[in-house]
Amino acid sequence: MSISRVLSVNRGEIAARVVKAAQALGIEAVQAVSQADRESMAAQLADRTVVIGPAPSRLSYLDPKLLVHTALATGCDALHPGYGFLSERAALASLCAEHGITFIGPRPETIAALGDKLEAKALARAAGVPLVPGTDRIADAAAAQAAAETLGYPVLMKASAGGGGRGMFIARSAADLAAGFDKASNEAREAFGDGTMYMERYVENARHVEVQVFGDGKGHVLHFGERDCSIQRRYQKVFEESPCAAMPQALREELHRAALSLVASVKYQNAGTVEFLYDVNRQEIYFIEVNARIQVEHPVSEQVTGFDLIQLQFRVAGGEPLHYTQDQIPVRGHAIECRLNAEDPYQDFRPSPGRITRWQPPRGAGVRVDSHCYDGYLVPPFYDSMIGKLIVTAATRAECVERLQAALARTEIDGLTTNLPLLRHIAQQPDFIDNQLNTRWLETTGLPAFGAKQE
Amino acid sequence: MSAGSNIKPQDVEGLIELFKASNWDEMHVQVGEFELFLSNDPKAVGPGKAVAAPAAPLAVSVAAPASAPATAPASIAHAPVTAAIPDGLVAIRAPNLGTFYRAPKPGAPPYVEVGQTISEDTEVCLIEVMKLFAPVAAGLRGVVREVLVKDGQMVEFDAPLILVEPAK
Repeated sequence: MSISRVLSVNRGEIAARVVKAAQALGIEAVQAVSQADRESMAAQLADRTVVIGPAPSRLSYLDPKLLVHTALATGCDALHPGYGFLSERAALASLCAEHGITFIGPRPETIAALGDKLEAKALARAAGVPLVPGTDRIADAAAAQAAAETLGYPVLMKASAGGGGRGMFIARSAADLAAGFDKASNEAREAFGDGTMYMERYVENARHVEVQVFGDGKGHVLHFGERDCSIQRRYQKVFEESPCAAMPQALREELHRAALSLVASVKYQNAGTVEFLYDVNRQEIYFIEVNARIQVEHPVSEQVTGFDLIQLQFRVAGGEPLHYTQDQIPVRGHAIECRLNAEDPYQDFRPSPGRITRWQPPRGAGVRVDSHCYDGYLVPPFYDSMIGKLIVTAATRAECVERLQAALARTEIDGLTTNLPLLRHIAQQPDFIDNQLNTRWLETTGLPAFGAKQE
Repeated sequence: MSAGSNIKPQDVEGLIELFKASNWDEMHVQVGEFELFLSNDPKAVGPGKAVAAPAAPLAVSVAAPASAPATAPASIAHAPVTAAIPDGLVAIRAPNLGTFYRAPKPGAPPYVEVGQTISEDTEVCLIEVMKLFAPVAAGLRGVVREVLVKDGQMVEFDAPLILVEPAK
């Protein structure tokens, strides 16, 4: 291990996790905090804590120069970015490299390439990874109808210059295309000065699946199984599990192959996640994007593989070879994570920061809680609302669901409003128990049922 | 071995018990390098070193030159130099973490000297972050009474840099 002292530049549970992982490997941990986080768990655990700036993120956690200056001034030889904040900003990785600091993550050029959606798709296509079937530019409604016959309805018409839903519509028939095409094209022309349209297959019944990968930077890549993160609200994941129990083994193997083929093609370094859309009706997978960092939901992969992925990040960044073969990483059992947030599910998920007067997470076999909270901890109002992650593990999904229900029932948090009632509600839903889920389930079924229960 | 290292935890506990049993407002004990300050006022700041204030911002020497951090790692040990702000004085504080410089460039005279009268917009020092040097304005009128930080030291956000006696 060539790393002797690391600067942890994130906050919340992941900062505490990074500090502990470093110390477990004999690495000294310096924690950079904003003024609002000087009493935080990570600050308490770290060998040294430095206050880098005031509470607002742009003056503290989002300033790459400040972070690298802190690393240099405190004699750190490595920097762990966590997730969010600057973790996928190539500029931070480059600045570290320029100053001889090991950035614990992918190379800056990999972060830049995969962060650009078009370039990422081009890389995926070149690596033989399936993308959502679609077309090039479509001239008029008649051409759209011909293309839709090949793709199969429903289809999604999109503005080539577009974004934010402008010029976009779903067509379930030739009549829908005839009725909508000119209107959408005009809307795109007005909004973006370009009325060019193209078509993609619309996936009605989609799951979000993703593959945890690791690379040594020289072309050796491994996966640590997949995760199913279909329970989402406004593209924010709420529950994540591993493996994706709804996926047949043959397709799972194809999924893993596709992910590895993409990351091998860029000689990926360190931890990453390749995200896919799983078209359940057609039994196909389509590439979405690569997250070039560790993710919030990495613990479910740790639970079913037995690896500590944060420690592995340190080992790989420190130059240790990734000396495993794929068959040394079997997936055993089932793990489910849910995210505890300081937000009010009865008030449109309004954030509810404040002081925790009682923090009593569940304990017991197969129960893990990754959190930075404690009795008396003040959840500051400046950052995201996640206060912890409950992760349960069991031999099968069915047992795991039961364990999750019991663990949620035993969780007690006082002093502020949390989404715990919603998590308990979801864990009791027949669709969740039977694994009849897709990416729209929470918004179309789960939340309305929760609201109804509230009456 | 200093006299301070002879103080045992039970000695400190004894002193705390003594203080609790008394009707004193404050107690200050100094034995060699050992210093204990107890107060019933939660806002009280002890004299001298802030022994009982671990959350206070710390100004720490930069032992590792920026050009060679990996070969010369700084000691991880803190070097607390935070002084209490004496009555009647106000501290000009660091706007962010960075390296403190008293002068606009090496060899130049410092921005301010002790005894100098300053106004709100007087530049009193530089804070450097990755070769970006940002001057710090005094923000108040008065007379410079003490410069708390050495040239080239790393200071944390909000660390007191310069003590000023405000103009009446």
